[in-house]
Amino acid sequence: MILATESPRPAAATAAVVDARGLVREYGAVVAVDGIDLTLAEGEFLTVFGPNGAGKTSLLKMLGGAMRPTRGTVAIGGVPLDFSNGEWRRSVGMLSHQGFLYQRLTAEENLRFYGRLFGLGDLEARIRARLERVGLADRARHAVHQLSHGMKQRLALARALLHDPQLVLLDEPYTGLDPAAASVLRQVLQELRSDRRTVVMVTHNLTEGLALATRVAIQVGGRLGWEGAREDVEPDGFERHYHEVVEGRA
Amino acid sequence: MSIIGIRRAGIFLAALGLLGLGVVYWMSFFWVSTEASQGIVQRIFYVHPPAAWTSFLAFGIAALTSGMYLWLRDERLDWAASSAAEGGMVFATIMLITGPLWGKIAWGTYWTWEPRLTLTLLLWFVFVGYFMVRRSTDNPEQGKRFSAVVAIVGALLIPFIHLSVVWFRSLHPEPVVITPEGPSLPGDMLTTLLVSVGVFTVLFLGLFMLRYALEGIRHELQVRARRAAA
Amino acid sequence: MSLYLRQIGVIVWKDLLLELRTRERVAAMGAFAVLAGVLFNFSTDRSLVRPQDMAAGLIWMTIVFDGLLGVGRTFHLEAEDGALQGLLMSPAPKDAIFLGKALSNFVLLYAVALLVLAVFMLFFGLGIGSSPAAVLLSLGLGALGFVALGTLFAAVSSGTRMGETVLPILVFPLLVPMVIYGAGATGRLLAGRPVAEVAGNLRMLGAFALVALAAGAALFRFVVED
Repeated sequence: MILATESPRPAAATAAVVDARGLVREYGAVVAVDGIDLTLAEGEFLTVFGPNGAGKTSLLKMLGGAMRPTRGTVAIGGVPLDFSNGEWRRSVGMLSHQGFLYQRLTAEENLRFYGRLFGLGDLEARIRARLERVGLADRARHAVHQLSHGMKQRLALARALLHDPQLVLLDEPYTGLDPAAASVLRQVLQELRSDRRTVVMVTHNLTEGLALATRVAIQVGGRLGWEGAREDVEPDGFERHYHEVVEGRA
Repeated sequence: MSIIGIRRAGIFLAALGLLGLGVVYWMSFFWVSTEASQGIVQRIFYVHPPAAWTSFLAFGIAALTSGMYLWLRDERLDWAASSAAEGGMVFATIMLITGPLWGKIAWGTYWTWEPRLTLTLLLWFVFVGYFMVRRSTDNPEQGKRFSAVVAIVGALLIPFIHLSVVWFRSLHPEPVVITPEGPSLPGDMLTTLLVSVGVFTVLFLGLFMLRYALEGIRHELQVRARRAAA
Repeated sequence: MSLYLRQIGVIVWKDLLLELRTRERVAAMGAFAVLAGVLFNFSTDRSLVRPQDMAAGLIWMTIVFDGLLGVGRTFHLEAEDGALQGLLMSPAPKDAIFLGKALSNFVLLYAVALLVLAVFMLFFGLGIGSSPAAVLLSLGLGALGFVALGTLFAAVSSGTRMGETVLPILVFPLLVPMVIYGAGATGRLLAGRPVAEVAGNLRMLGAFALVALAAGAALFRFVVED
């Protein structure tokens, strides 16, 4: 099943940002992802819902090149992933529910580290700009372990976006956030929409997940049990629909 | 060659090897002449070095197939590597048991730092490491890759280990040990030794192929079970 | 090429900065160096054996055990918050990541090795011998080989259920050449023998370190891939 690559605006880019075919991921005898196809154009925001163990994180990791598929292919910006050459990694930014942050370094130092790793130019200006956009400019010199969970999430997002990736992958970003922090995060994620980045977000949070999505999918047992455009989803009835899909596959 | 074919070849070679082993024992005990200085116990010579040779051959195969496995990602190469490593460890163990036995009876000490013995001991531990990392990962694929790395690094550094141990020995000579060797070896002893080396190699190859075939069969069962469940 | 070197450099910078902030490994390794010297003092009977005769061996073994301590934790920095994944998802080549980690481990271990040398010289009344430079070189080359193997296998061991406990089993057999050539060289130098006598050892130590680094750089990607 391939998602049609229609978008609300006239598509300027014709190459799909992400094109994944037949993704399978096995861990020994356990099959986490059992044949998923996915194609996303520029500016699309796909939210994937699903119960624990449905393989959502594995799917995300394969899309981002963090994990090799057991079978299947992934192409980013038309270029198939080649694990021996890492240049395509500049097109991908990932926010995991782990932060990829060093607790004992300051917010600034974390960004500086990643910036230099990516070989980014004009680094200090970038760092300042990113911190401002996530509302952490005044915490630049604070060590990460001194930040609240919500702030760490935002810093992790700043890190994920530092190198201006085309494709942004978010793995359960709302986990552990209180409503205030969640709303701040949503504002920040809103910018992803206005920046026309392509986003795949995995979350349990039905409300937040629907708020920003242009496309929606439900993953169950390693496959996409349902998918469709956001316009076709009725927020009030979605929870019931979600349970139907999940249990239907039980 | 199909798995069944390999299994058959393995049975044949292993049987041949076992038969050959009988011949080797007969030759060692009854046919070859007794060595002058050590007496009867010297007959371990026809088992001890061939076991060492075989374990190193096995390790070489394991390291080579490990390297190819990481490069080509064909699981069958991993089957080969682990099968060879198992066989190699067995023969290394034989060498490490016969060595001290011989040493104790012939020269009164269980252990000397004789280069070959030392090298085999270290190789034995490389095998241990190989299997330990292989079996202690949550993701079996990762375990295979880990063990392949262990085998490859071991193979790359074995020359250094050998050179260093030989050099160390040259500084600290201990009672000259174990093997009468080289051109001075009398004809019948040389013959017995060569026959033994050949037999051990054949036996190892037979066991290796059987073990490989076992992996192949296991894999096939898994595939069929998954197909049936789907 | 320069980006490659800068990538290695920033990893070293990050590791050393973290080490400076937390002082975790430095403190443990430093204390170990001193306390090992103390224990060795009490475990040797001076009426039976002269410490000078054993010094080189004890120094090298202390460095090995101390190094194990430090290198075992090299990926703990990355373990919290999954930072290793962040590193792996960057465009930095895996061999650059390995070399960065190995280099930062080297800095740490070499500093500790110098401490061990100083401690043993102090505790056992040793002179620096015929050539301080050669002694420092032998320790440096040994430390290099050690961190190469240690970093690679630390990555392996942290992926197993047994963790650091399997590290000695993996590393010790392969350290035999390093110990033989290294302690051999150091021993002779401390005893006042000329450098020319140990030149061969130093060459072997260097070759060993080179091979270990190359192997680690080439194989690291297979250890950390998912």
